[in-house]
Amino acid sequence: MERRKFLGLGLVAATLIPASLSAVDFRKEKPDAFTAHNVADAIKALYGDIKFEEKGDLTVKVPKIASNGGAIPVSIQSGLELKSIALFQDANPESAVAVFTIGEGMIVNYMTKIKMKGPGEVTLVAEGKDGKFYKTSKKLDVALGGCEG
Amino acid sequence: MANMKIKAKVKGDTLKCKIQAKHIMLPYDAAKKKGVDANFITLITAKVGDRVIFEASTSQFISKNPIFKFEAKADGIKKGDKLEMSWTDLSGKTVTEDKKIKGLK
Repeated sequence: MERRKFLGLGLVAATLIPASLSAVDFRKEKPDAFTAHNVADAIKALYGDIKFEEKGDLTVKVPKIASNGGAIPVSIQSGLELKSIALFQDANPESAVAVFTIGEGMIVNYMTKIKMKGPGEVTLVAEGKDGKFYKTSKKLDVALGGCEG
Repeated sequence: MANMKIKAKVKGDTLKCKIQAKHIMLPYDAAKKKGVDANFITLITAKVGDRVIFEASTSQFISKNPIFKFEAKADGIKKGDKLEMSWTDLSGKTVTEDKKIKGLK
């Protein structure tokens, strides 16, 4: 049963890969990615069955201990030629946080603030223009959970 | 004009932007407790003219009054150009605001 489910998911994801480069609303294109309950499922729903490169020029910065789980600063940096970057975490009921679309003339140097219910891991997946995928993750502690608004 | 704070400045050959949208960003869990509908920004974009320089599909776990910092190459941006930000939330509301880009001669 496990295997059947797994294969089915991969097939659905493969047929959903969008052809357009710019102006992709990932929430409309891949609604499954935003309702997946763990990081692996969310990645599969977003990008399909993929393999990751060993290492790439991709960094995610988070504080070691976040005092307020309602606003945790997350910095994303990369010097690679990328198509999109997806940010996930594993502390909240659903995993996906944001998907950045990267086009011509954009520099990958983002900062935003996210919410996390408790201690967990932030995972960053980047899709390169050459079709390669990169992944990096960071663990952090959250002193005060911030998912209650 | 009170829906967004926008700062855009050209430094060298880089356009640096910092924006804050005023939004409650209410996730499903908290909304259930309060007995109201969840509402959060789902798509946020930035444009200079016709060129898209930032685009993100976001979920409920971006913080309240979300802040985004981003950069782009500044070639082709002239004095008087405006940075146009727009976001769409779950209820279907779309807000667009623009601000002049600073730091150009």
